[in-house]
Amino acid sequence: MKNKTVKKALTVFGIIAILTLVTNTTSLFESKAQEADTGNSKEIVKDTTASEEQDISMDEIEEKSLSGIRKFLSYTGFNNATPGHLVMLLVGLFFIFLAIKYDYEPLLLVPIGTGIIMGNIPFFQADGINLQLGIYQEGSVLNYLYYGVVKGIYPPLIFLGIGAMTDFSSLISNPRLMLLGAAAQVGIFLTFLGAIFLGFNLPEAGSIGIIGGADGPTAIFLSSKLANGEIINGLQTANLIGPIAIAAYSYMALVPVIQPPIMRLLTSKRERRIKMKPPRSVSKVEKIIFPIVGLLLTTFISPGALPLLGMLFFGNILKESGVTKRLADTARTSMIDIVTILLGLTVGASTQADVFLTSQSILIFVLGALSFMVATAGGLMFAKVMNLFLSKDNKINPLVGASGVSAVPDSARVVHAEGLKNDPSNHLLMHAMAPNVSGVIGSAVAAGILLSFLL
Amino acid sequence: MTELFVKIGTPDFLNDGLVIAIVGYVIVFSALVVLYFVFANFSKVINYNIRKKLRKEGKGDQVKEKELQISGDEAAAISMAIYLYHELHDEESNVITIKKVSKRYSPWSSKIYGLRNYKS
Repeated sequence: MKNKTVKKALTVFGIIAILTLVTNTTSLFESKAQEADTGNSKEIVKDTTASEEQDISMDEIEEKSLSGIRKFLSYTGFNNATPGHLVMLLVGLFFIFLAIKYDYEPLLLVPIGTGIIMGNIPFFQADGINLQLGIYQEGSVLNYLYYGVVKGIYPPLIFLGIGAMTDFSSLISNPRLMLLGAAAQVGIFLTFLGAIFLGFNLPEAGSIGIIGGADGPTAIFLSSKLANGEIINGLQTANLIGPIAIAAYSYMALVPVIQPPIMRLLTSKRERRIKMKPPRSVSKVEKIIFPIVGLLLTTFISPGALPLLGMLFFGNILKESGVTKRLADTARTSMIDIVTILLGLTVGASTQADVFLTSQSILIFVLGALSFMVATAGGLMFAKVMNLFLSKDNKINPLVGASGVSAVPDSARVVHAEGLKNDPSNHLLMHAMAPNVSGVIGSAVAAGILLSFLL
Repeated sequence: MTELFVKIGTPDFLNDGLVIAIVGYVIVFSALVVLYFVFANFSKVINYNIRKKLRKEGKGDQVKEKELQISGDEAAAISMAIYLYHELHDEESNVITIKKVSKRYSPWSSKIYGLRNYKS
């Protein structure tokens, strides 16, 4: 097994080494050809004055073909590649590897990984020349598709699909678990403060903080409004959509890696074995009224979250009404799949080396990881605090608090798996889904509040 | 990298940030607390009619709120029982009908294809 991975790593490094060698040799060849061309041309002009007529035509053909080859070489990826491109290509390959080998969020990481590769194919760039190839070049196909990210169109559509596939009955049957989803949002606001400490301005810090919500679409939505490279509220912002989206989705994919150690660290074995009461059955009327009341209450409190929460609850109304099955089916299958493909690909492609590989991106990744951990810890600790006030029969398994981050349904799945490890008869999935979906609502409300404060 | 260290030393927007963080978190929390209170009491509203009926029957005080709610497990057990009842005790019409099946021409039933044709 180890030999295989070593072999695979060597193959990848070998390919990269060959790529760099080819890049260097082509650039050397090109510079030598240019020197030879300029140095020899003068002598040739002196010696060949008599038999010009015949030679000129030959020289012209030679020169034209050489300049054509030179132009072709200058346009190839080998000539324009930089170490940054190679690093990002490696990152893209790594994402695809993680998705295929370890099954980490393959539906996200495969489009993002491929997008990173597509966005980092080196091509000729110069001032005033627009080949309409790159994602940041006006008129390119990728640029048109990226419009949905920049203008915050894709995230609400993703929320529509999520709403159409989410069953809120676990939340309705046990509403107190909603508070765990609220507690986990502490990650957003602590990261917001952390980002300010690290020198980001307010709009940028707001968009970085939302990574703590562990909600990719919300992170993209907020960063497209607050950190899009434009002047927001009198402050010049950097374009951080790419790094924020990549950080949010990476940490969402790494939920099974990040959360379990924190869960084990903050809970005792006895606490992890707490069995919760089975949720009561929820009537159809309750299921229909929940999205309507939820929509009204949350958007009245935080109107900034309307595009996200409006679509989320609209999707849920389609699902629960029972009379729009076709629309609900489309929203939760074909539509969300199409938008995920476009979103993943364009977010991946937006990580063009020259825009992405900055010190700011490194800081964003560090802050993102911290915020995710803080959010997990916030949910866990709040569940423990709640247990202090609950009767013996109504105790909450604190592991459920960790699913207050809104990575649906991964976080709930991780909680379920962790519960089963400690007691194979303790099934926590349905309980964990409640704070998980309330986390989605909480992070969207938080995004709306940050928008209203900072825009 | 130096840019990174310069940034760490200057939290320009700290005061504004603190206010936004505290107020923002309180709003998020209170939004979900409001939702919690609404849905914690919602089942009582839903059960209002049942309570009214029970009161008419004189059992209003005997039945507690929790007894009006059944758990998902119980609901699953009841639905399984109903399903099995219908599976085991399915009623038949007891009318025997013989349908006449008329087949149209098919190569399988063709006489021509059943014979060997020899070329003369």
